[in-house]
Amino acid sequence: MKIKAQIGMVLNLDKCIGCHTCSIPCKNVWTNRSGAEYIWFNNVETKPGIGYPKKWENQAIHKGGWEMGLKLRLRAGGPPNKLLKIFHNPDLPTIDEYYEPWTYNYDKLISTPQKKHQPSTRPKSLITGKPIRLKWGPNWEDDLAGVNETGTADVNFNNLDYQIYLQFKKVFMFYLPRLCEHCLNPACVASCPSGALYKREEDGIVLVDQERCRGWRYCVSGCPYKKVYFNWETGRSEKCIFCYPRIEAGMTSLCAETCVGKIRYVGVILYDADQIAMAASTKEEHELYPAQTGIFLDPMDPAVVAEAISQGIPQSYIEAAQQSPVYKLAVDWQLAFPLHPEFRTLPMVWYIPPLSPLVQFFEESDDDVYDPEVMRIPLTYLANLLTAGDKEPVRMALRRLMALRSYMRSKRLEGKADPGVLEKVGMTEEMAQGIYRLLAIAKYKDRFVIPTVKKEKEVNLYRDQGAAGFSSHGK
Amino acid sequence: MHTLNTLAFLVFPYLALTTSVVGHLYRYISDPYGWNTRSSELLEKKGLKFGITIFHWGIIFTLLGHGVGLLIPQRYWDAVGIDSQTHTVFATYSGALVGAAALLGLCLLIYRRITKERILATTSLNDFVTLGLLFFVVATGTANVFSGLYEHFDILTTVAPWLRGILTLTPDPTLMLQVPLRFKLHILGVLTLIGFWPFSRLVHIWSVPLTYFFRRWIVFRRREISF
Repeated sequence: MKIKAQIGMVLNLDKCIGCHTCSIPCKNVWTNRSGAEYIWFNNVETKPGIGYPKKWENQAIHKGGWEMGLKLRLRAGGPPNKLLKIFHNPDLPTIDEYYEPWTYNYDKLISTPQKKHQPSTRPKSLITGKPIRLKWGPNWEDDLAGVNETGTADVNFNNLDYQIYLQFKKVFMFYLPRLCEHCLNPACVASCPSGALYKREEDGIVLVDQERCRGWRYCVSGCPYKKVYFNWETGRSEKCIFCYPRIEAGMTSLCAETCVGKIRYVGVILYDADQIAMAASTKEEHELYPAQTGIFLDPMDPAVVAEAISQGIPQSYIEAAQQSPVYKLAVDWQLAFPLHPEFRTLPMVWYIPPLSPLVQFFEESDDDVYDPEVMRIPLTYLANLLTAGDKEPVRMALRRLMALRSYMRSKRLEGKADPGVLEKVGMTEEMAQGIYRLLAIAKYKDRFVIPTVKKEKEVNLYRDQGAAGFSSHGK
Repeated sequence: MHTLNTLAFLVFPYLALTTSVVGHLYRYISDPYGWNTRSSELLEKKGLKFGITIFHWGIIFTLLGHGVGLLIPQRYWDAVGIDSQTHTVFATYSGALVGAAALLGLCLLIYRRITKERILATTSLNDFVTLGLLFFVVATGTANVFSGLYEHFDILTTVAPWLRGILTLTPDPTLMLQVPLRFKLHILGVLTLIGFWPFSRLVHIWSVPLTYFFRRWIVFRRREISF
């Protein structure tokens, strides 16, 4: 057993209001540079839709992630195949699939002489400087805009009649904030011919070594989430860094810090690195989700703790893992699920599925907990998104969220707690209290449990400021 | 004339090679961020595919051909039964094929760089100089090969030993005296390109990722600072 620690995140989609507040500080701090204008380490998509870049989930087009042949292999092919095609990566998206970055000639608003009509600004390309027509953007499909055209290409409608759900009266939507998954089995790292991408031993954060990146572009096409981006100005790849300078200081990432809905949770998970290949090679796609939780280690287990200490995991990480909101949501309560586990990268940003209004009226039944099958968002759609099509885990999570509401209502409004409703979904009152505290009260210190890093070597941060990073050197 | 010949084929080669070696070291240390392919595939993909593929394969085999043909003395070829005439015929036809491929690819790439708005907007002066030098070198080289079909000049006893002399630090510029101008132009172009190389995007050639075959899929690295 090789124990490693991983910083993971859980997003509660039930509370996401799609405000994009997470994207803004991320943009302002990390990708507000020439060549990176089109890059959003964090973006928020409306589902259903094809997203940013277009159709990123459809690996028949993009060839990202892993697939199972006789053994686990990159969908886009191994080293010989990659080196033969290195001059022209056939799977690389073009910037049009993200969007051509633009600005406006704002000065025209004040420099235009008085006329009969108000002056207007026209978008102009940040690449060529010429006027362009806007055709796509990172949130082009916001609140279902244009979904009648794009929605048909959403792969999550697999096994569903999308025609029905794209009708105005039947339509549903929810938000999906996306960032790098900091996978346990990252396809971008495996795809890099130079070995410039790596996973940090200490916290599992996946980074691009900006000094080693030679611009071969295979990480961009290799990532099935399309969360590695190519900076067209510097010729290097860039990706979400999980705000590691903040994480090292025990602070949470900017996207999580600023989330107005308090939907994000950041914590430590201990896992057995020896089992990564085995879990990612699970034969059936819908068994990948349980296989992944299977390699997470119980931080309360004294044997695990003893082994972790002997392998050099610091006490602070073990303590953080024991209080980890991510472990509770993913493993203890099974409310959170990985995004598209069928990509076989073992992603570490997980999602709690959203509840939605009941679309069918039910007579009083014995079962007080409604079946999520009659919710507005089709269960199959959520299962295609989160569990490779297996509806049962998602159904149970939604039933638990419903049961929790029912229980809290009985407790607070009727003054008499009704644990009966909890038993039907395998919950105890203690567990319900825990979930209520974490999801509804959502205290800052409960949402973010991040160990600090002790810097043994004296580092003069002031001197190192600007010495390394994304900026184009010498410009 | 003799002085000029010495300058061009004794002084200039070492000047270019020194600039290249020192330049590469300087660039590698001072500009680790800029050492990459500077790919423009993200901005324009369709017009790139054919040109870039045949250019790269063409130029790779051209370089291999130069290495095999010029660096290995003819007496070794004679020993394995390939006389200088067979050698020249093979070199001419294979060289014509790969040289033409590289030249056609290069032309397509130059055309793309000039006609596609996004590519032109992101092209630097340095890129144009690199492209210009490359074009000069590939065009003269290919022209020399084709002209060899009509008018034979034996480079195996002139240019080849001169080049080996330069590389083994036993230079003899007089070997170049009888060489026709078209070969001289090609050689001077190559030397200029070698000198300019470290300051251009051509540095990516040294980063051919052959280690990819030997490393494991997932790379783990420790932070420099410890817990």
